[in-house]
Amino acid sequence: MSAFFFYFFSALSILAALLVVVNREAVNSAMCMIVALSGVAALFVLLQAYFLAVLQIVVYAGAVMVLFLFIIMLLDTSARRIHVTEMNLVAAIAALLVLAGGAIWLAHQFPSVGELPKLTELPTDQAPLAYSTAAKAFGYGLFTRYMLPFQVAGFLLLIAMVGVIVLSKRPGDAKSDPVKEPRP
Amino acid sequence: MDLPKLLSLILLLPLGSAVVIALFLRRKGNVAAALSVLVGFVIMALSLYALFSWNGQPLEVSHEWLRFGNYAMSMGYYFNNQTALMLLVVSFVASWIQLFSVGYMADDEGKGRFFGGLSIFMFSMLGIVLADNLVMLFVFWELVGFSSYLLIAHYFKTDFANMASKKAFIVNRVGDFGFILGIVWCWDHYGTVNLAALGKIIAANPGLLGTHAAVAIGFLLMCGFVGKSAQFPLQVWLTDAMAGPTPVSALIHAATMVAAGVYFLARVFFLLSPATLHWIMWSGAAMTAFAGLCALGQTDIKKILAYSTLSHLGYMATAVGLGYPEIAMFHLAMHACFKATLFLGAGSVIHGCHHEQDIYKMGGLLKKMPVTAAAFLLASLANCAIPFFSGSYSKDSIITAAFLAGHDHGAINYGVYGLVLFGALCTALYSARLFGVVFLGTARGEDAAHAHESGPAMAIPLIVLGFLSLSAGWAVQGWTWAGGAMSGLIPTHCAVVFLDAFEKLHASVEATGAAFAVEAINLGVVLAGLAASIIFYLGFEKGDALAVKAPRLFHVLERHGWFDDVYDWYIAHVQQRLCDILGALDLLVFKFTAGWGSGGLAGLTGSLLRRAQVGSIHAYVYWFLAGVILFWAFAVR
Amino acid sequence: MQPGLQAYLTVAGILFAIGFFGVLLRKNTLVIYMCLELMLTATTLALVAFSRFYGTMDGALFVFFIITVAAAEVAVGLAIIVALYRRRRTVQVDELNYLKH
Repeated sequence: MSAFFFYFFSALSILAALLVVVNREAVNSAMCMIVALSGVAALFVLLQAYFLAVLQIVVYAGAVMVLFLFIIMLLDTSARRIHVTEMNLVAAIAALLVLAGGAIWLAHQFPSVGELPKLTELPTDQAPLAYSTAAKAFGYGLFTRYMLPFQVAGFLLLIAMVGVIVLSKRPGDAKSDPVKEPRP
Repeated sequence: MDLPKLLSLILLLPLGSAVVIALFLRRKGNVAAALSVLVGFVIMALSLYALFSWNGQPLEVSHEWLRFGNYAMSMGYYFNNQTALMLLVVSFVASWIQLFSVGYMADDEGKGRFFGGLSIFMFSMLGIVLADNLVMLFVFWELVGFSSYLLIAHYFKTDFANMASKKAFIVNRVGDFGFILGIVWCWDHYGTVNLAALGKIIAANPGLLGTHAAVAIGFLLMCGFVGKSAQFPLQVWLTDAMAGPTPVSALIHAATMVAAGVYFLARVFFLLSPATLHWIMWSGAAMTAFAGLCALGQTDIKKILAYSTLSHLGYMATAVGLGYPEIAMFHLAMHACFKATLFLGAGSVIHGCHHEQDIYKMGGLLKKMPVTAAAFLLASLANCAIPFFSGSYSKDSIITAAFLAGHDHGAINYGVYGLVLFGALCTALYSARLFGVVFLGTARGEDAAHAHESGPAMAIPLIVLGFLSLSAGWAVQGWTWAGGAMSGLIPTHCAVVFLDAFEKLHASVEATGAAFAVEAINLGVVLAGLAASIIFYLGFEKGDALAVKAPRLFHVLERHGWFDDVYDWYIAHVQQRLCDILGALDLLVFKFTAGWGSGGLAGLTGSLLRRAQVGSIHAYVYWFLAGVILFWAFAVR
Repeated sequence: MQPGLQAYLTVAGILFAIGFFGVLLRKNTLVIYMCLELMLTATTLALVAFSRFYGTMDGALFVFFIITVAAAEVAVGLAIIVALYRRRRTVQVDELNYLKH
């Protein structure tokens, strides 16, 4: 059963990703992106990473993509035909194939794991960082081994907030530069 | 306090004074002057204390400073009788001259600078005096040259002073080039540069002096002496150095720095081969006569005294060349006293006549500046070597030694005797001329008519040094007192340097049976010169008698035998051309390698790489991908 | 057939390649940015797969950080794009070429 779900959600994600790339309208791309992210979240569930799946939906598909949609609609860009020149498309497809091929080859370098490691409900003292499905495991890891990155991440969020506030300020009214015409 | 610590204190006090003046007291001239003079007298007191508490044994103290491979550069003191004498001379004369400067430079705006320079000079000179190895000596040698450069250029707003200071430094440098080659070769050949160690090596094996290397080393070391003590052919800087203030001329270019060369020769006398000594003797004697003559062709009071100094340096060189370094040191000490007095007297006169230096604008100063006149007279008599004056003992000894050389070592050396006698004649001639024109007769200029004696700061050193020019030589009369610690007016430890040599010399002359004749000829020459000068020059109202009666001769003497002009021509036409060629070559090389070469390469690379900035993000992403693939290939190969 | 580690890695790789394809192809800055996020998501998938199949929590924890950083990065990046839009009135990359030589 899980094999079927795996194939289904993988196909969904890949298809949605392709649609993101080829869609003419930015809003459509954003919608397809949400679908792709949801597919990936489903794959997380299949891997028994329940906490991360929910996190993905809430943060990524929920907050980040909504922010994207806000900005897309704010900037109000008119839909344009994708001016794809011959070279561009060929080159891009070539790059795609190369990269995909490379990734697949790389994926097969890793030896297949025979027996899946046993899942623990809660981390134990002998193996505090063993893979477990509980959110508590995240707590164990974050507050012991990954304490420093945790604090730094908090600091990073603060900086990002400050940066966004600074960047969003309008240029000074008295000496605002004349907006240039877009170059042809 | 033991001797090494005392010597360190003596050496470092003026350095401290110079640093304090340089950092804090540049604008506060009076405080700087007070500090410098105070330090000077403290040093004098400490030196006397050191001399009296010394037990007479040579002291060698050495402290390793740097090490390069198997060569260790060390700093230390080598204190023997020569050091004692030189230390006494330097500290004593310098202190009184510093006091004099307070009066002389009273209304100068660069006072702080001046006294800082004097302090650093004291430090450098004391370093030369106390040095125990050739490298340390060389370091302080150069420092003394630097101090001289600094002080000559005191009136830096005039071109003449700047050029003179540069000339002094560069000419010294030429001599020092040979000097350093000599030091390096000395280390290579003998394995050490420590003076005491070298002495022991040569004493153990006197045959070493006969090798070609030793002869060459002797000549090279002599080059330093030639540069510093203004011997032929590097004597051209001393007369121009009179551009500095008079106390500087007194201290540096009469009493101490130029005598450092003689001191150095006395220290390394055992390293000099007979060939070197021969050269020193002849060139010294020739300089004595020539400089004495040139003094007759000058009208600037300081230039006359400068040529007189050159002449006396010639005497000292002759003494060394004749094999009597102790007599040279004796003359050095006596010369320091009376030449300093002469220069200080000249300074007093210049100051009194409002910075007038032409003697034909002075005159009649005997009544207006009696103290100066008295000191000047005493010093002039010493200069001429009138009996019982300090100069006579040393100068006559040198002339006697020259006679002995002719008598014992071949008649050709009578030439030296003749030259030094002629030098003595000239000394008498110019001394009488100088004294007569400046102090006797009537005032020839406005300033001279209104001259008056300057304050006590200038009078006291004149009195002290004037008295010494009379009496310093009495040490050889054997008047010891204070339990044997003093001979005459010189501490015995210092006098010992020359007492033995003096005795021996006179014993040798007695042995030849011509002692009385030699002395008579000496005295006779001097008296004849004085008489001739008085008759010829005095009472002549139309300017300089020689200039009027023999203008061509006067012109030759005035131009110093065209030495300066020859050098100028050489530098302007030969040296400058060479420099221009080298400069063009240099430019060519750099233009080629750097301009077209690496510079062009950089430019080319830049213009190529610039083309990658196409402004398209996608292009950049492709480059990025290419880079990633490259890294990947590299990582998995 | 139970999907193994390699299957998940393959999916992640394909998603990554598609994201890169999108970066190379599209001219709208916002869409390019979305494709970048797609690449990031692909890497999170790979990390979680590794974490699961090797029985360690490290990969999942790292994903936690990636999500955090991605959120911050998106915020700042979009702010920059908006500021750029205010200046240049466009979000097409071929018109944003002021640094062209």
